[in-house]
Amino acid sequence: MTKIGLEIHCQLTNLESKLFCPCKADYRKFEPNTNICPICMGIPGSLPLLNKSAVEKATLIAMALDCRTPDKIAFFRKNYFYPDLPKNFQITQLNVYGNTSIGWEGKISVGDKEIRIRRIQLEEDPGRLIYEGATEKTKLTLVDYNRAGTPLVEIVTEPDFETPHQVREFLNILSDLLENLNVSDPGLEGAMRADANVSIEGGSKVEIKNIGSFHDLEKAVHFEITRQQSLAERKIEIIQETRHWDEGRKITVSARTKEEEAEYRYHLEADIPWVRINDDTKNQLQTHMPESISSKKKRYVSKYSITPQVADILSSDRYFSELFENAKNETNAKDVANMITTDVMGLLDTREKRNVSKLNAEHLSDLIASMKLNKITRSSAKLALDEIIKNGKPLQQIIGELDLGHVSDEEELTNIITQVLSEEIKAVEEAKQNPEIVNFLVGKVMQKTHGKADPELTLTLLKKNLAID
Amino acid sequence: MNCIKNNEFTVEEFIAESLEHINKVDEKLHAFLRINDLAIKKAKEIDAKIKSNQNVGRCYGMPISVKDNICMEGSKTTCASKVLENFIAPYTSTVISKLHSEDAIIIGKTNLDEFAMGLSTEFSAYGPSRNPWNNDCVPGGSSGGSGVSVAANECIASLGSDTGGSIRNPASFCSVVGLKPTYGLVSRYGLVSYANSIEQIGPMTKTVEDSAFLLNMISGIDPNDNTTIDNKNQDYLNNIDAGINGKKIGIVTEMTNSDGLSADVLDATNDSIKTFEKLGANCEQVSLQMVPYTVAAYYTITSTEAGSNLARYDNVRYGYELDSSGFEFNSYISQARSKLGPEVIRRMILGGFVPSAGHAGKYFLKALKVKSKLINEINYVFKKFDFLISPTVPIQPFKFGEKINDPVSFMMVDFNTVTANLTGIPAISVPYKITNGLPIGIQIMSNHLEEHSLLQAAYALEKTVDLPEVPA
Amino acid sequence: MDNLVNEEEISEVAKLMKIDLKDHSDHIKRVQKMLEYFDILDSANVESEEITIQEIDLDKLRNDEHIPYNKNLLKFLKSYKEKYVKAPKLN
Repeated sequence: MTKIGLEIHCQLTNLESKLFCPCKADYRKFEPNTNICPICMGIPGSLPLLNKSAVEKATLIAMALDCRTPDKIAFFRKNYFYPDLPKNFQITQLNVYGNTSIGWEGKISVGDKEIRIRRIQLEEDPGRLIYEGATEKTKLTLVDYNRAGTPLVEIVTEPDFETPHQVREFLNILSDLLENLNVSDPGLEGAMRADANVSIEGGSKVEIKNIGSFHDLEKAVHFEITRQQSLAERKIEIIQETRHWDEGRKITVSARTKEEEAEYRYHLEADIPWVRINDDTKNQLQTHMPESISSKKKRYVSKYSITPQVADILSSDRYFSELFENAKNETNAKDVANMITTDVMGLLDTREKRNVSKLNAEHLSDLIASMKLNKITRSSAKLALDEIIKNGKPLQQIIGELDLGHVSDEEELTNIITQVLSEEIKAVEEAKQNPEIVNFLVGKVMQKTHGKADPELTLTLLKKNLAID
Repeated sequence: MNCIKNNEFTVEEFIAESLEHINKVDEKLHAFLRINDLAIKKAKEIDAKIKSNQNVGRCYGMPISVKDNICMEGSKTTCASKVLENFIAPYTSTVISKLHSEDAIIIGKTNLDEFAMGLSTEFSAYGPSRNPWNNDCVPGGSSGGSGVSVAANECIASLGSDTGGSIRNPASFCSVVGLKPTYGLVSRYGLVSYANSIEQIGPMTKTVEDSAFLLNMISGIDPNDNTTIDNKNQDYLNNIDAGINGKKIGIVTEMTNSDGLSADVLDATNDSIKTFEKLGANCEQVSLQMVPYTVAAYYTITSTEAGSNLARYDNVRYGYELDSSGFEFNSYISQARSKLGPEVIRRMILGGFVPSAGHAGKYFLKALKVKSKLINEINYVFKKFDFLISPTVPIQPFKFGEKINDPVSFMMVDFNTVTANLTGIPAISVPYKITNGLPIGIQIMSNHLEEHSLLQAAYALEKTVDLPEVPA
Repeated sequence: MDNLVNEEEISEVAKLMKIDLKDHSDHIKRVQKMLEYFDILDSANVESEEITIQEIDLDKLRNDEHIPYNKNLLKFLKSYKEKYVKAPKLN
């Protein structure tokens, strides 16, 4: 039986400041080495100052993953030398004096499989290495410490995954969950990274590191399983080792040839006392925890009769589920949901577009109401949406400006139909034989009315005119 | 200070005289690594404030020296190491900020054992300091320069740091007062870490009263240091002359037994017990069973922490000039760190060894447990006693080179002082006797956050002695 | 009595700590002596002891606020092209 385990690192990008200092948590818009201070640079004499909200948000994650949480958390030093590490140690968490990390023994469902969470810990991200220079000889290692000290939550699973597909599904569920909790924006570059460990029946565990994206993770796991299976078939021993994912060649390669166990000399971080997290705090956090995705989905289906597919899409996206919650009322929920999933999502498919969009919940509810009252057709509504996203003007104004009013006056419509029929003689003939052609004529009427014609009424009148059912 | 207030002389005059005196004696004594060339300017500013009747800080321009492992913005902070030869601190430590806001003048940075590792200042990479009582003898360490600067009247007070006795030891050797506060009482923000779970900054002064005065200014909770504790704005000068009538004093058997002490120190100790009794205290022997293990526990714990705290000195981000072109990462760092002094190197090796996976159980974890058991013992003992006493150092100041070659005998010099660091309790060294021209200090310890009564006991003892002036 | 910790182990540790021991064989001897002294811990009888810790309440921790460091820290550090920090080559 194949066993796969994951180690996911997730940045708490929704925090204002780093884990141990007041520099900005989201380092992405800064010039190199301008988001630093004596603390995150490990200047002699500086001391780490733990971020209260980081502990709270990490605890939220632990709770959302059904973990047990401690009464006190402690921090440890993991000592090793590397240029991206300003202090040449990383402040992280460990469970050597009892359970002192943010959470342990949790679980989450992936389809019908339950994945156990071994532990969750808070730690700091190192800086970033950049290479400059054309050849191997001239290559310089440059360091940008803007990211050093960014808060990370490490989530370690038991090796409960059996297939690469499960892994992929899990990562999607986890991303949505973290976004929904408002602790992180997984879409930001580098906000979520993962390593995997893979073993097949009877074989040793192999770790895979250096995986750039979730897409690559699935590939890497798949490749590694295949590699191990092929070794097993040839009765070659699978060595327990760490391998790196080679993005270019799409294979895993051995990273350490020596059987070097890194020696980290773990010991308590004496500059950070053990933090007491009492039951009151935990209850507070639990009460204010955003509703879970699965709970939302259930609610959408049962209370608003939204189809499971639409509910699925809507509930797992924080931005759109919020829009939905604000726009819906007693009567229009289903329509709002459909409009969002059909039209709005297509128009706002990237983060940048969402950031500049002027669409709000009121616009949506107005649109649905107007459509119900036949003041505007479906296709006009689409145009209106586009315009609203750009300038945010109220719906009535847009309808006026773009002349999107509904043409549902029978007389007016009949005139236009007569016009079309006189122009499309060939089609009229064919329509009498083939009723499908009527749709073509409907389209022509829509064209003439710039999409404002009521499609149902048009169809009815056309059929009447052509004397077909 | 009263002289300044009474206009007997100006701050500028006093500072100028201090600088002159430093010039005269420091070439020999080498207490200072660096003099603050802005001192006179600062003095003038304070004089102007006084003249124009503005509010002046409590220090009134007092010249204070600071150990060179405490950061001051814009000034070099070398920790007496070649590895930080060019390091200029970009920020100021809390303790110096507090002194500045009270109009103290930091007159210079003092010499120390490299990175505060040592007890004689012989391990400074810039040459040792000399004991003003006998120039062939060590001044103690690691805050040797601080001790000398006060003893030789180069300044009024000094801030040192104490990890295993580094304030009290030089205080004893130089015949000045040295206080290690309760762990967490004084902010460590700006103190270059050596063993961050036990070290503290503390005052070194001529009198107990001066130490209380300084403690008032530098103590208190600091948002920049999460290990600081609230002392509820205690006034350590208040009632400092209350005396110790009726107090119970425990004589720590393991620290006062005749095998470990030199004859002269044993004499002085016994004498001090009589003095305490004359002052109205009840003295009794008390045993702390963990004391014989404290030196081993101390060095195990501090090497582990030092090994980690000093890892950042790879000369990549700051340090000294050494171009990294052509070097591979590991060899560059090794090359850079080869500038570390011999004692630091040994602690690095120990610090890599004792917490490592195969050996932590035998060394590091055991040491932590010794620490715990010692804390329990101390808590128990302070239920009965108000203070514990011992000679600060088992021996008098030794000659240069005498101890430096025997590592175990060297470590043993700390025998009486590390207990206070491991347990976090406050401890003070009070100058008691000069025998054969060499100083002997008595150490008094009290329970956590009991500095107020500790200073009362120290004050009472101090008032019974009339010691000679330091030789010119 | 235990043997002295062997030289090879000490050399390995020195490498781990990025200490170059080429000319310092007397360091090894001194370290061996110190470690030998530490054996005294074995007789301390502390097996059942718990470690002591310092504690702090969650609400005493630093608030999550972005406060830009208002000085150009890079000026105090060794920098390359005034933008990056240059590190030696990595293998």
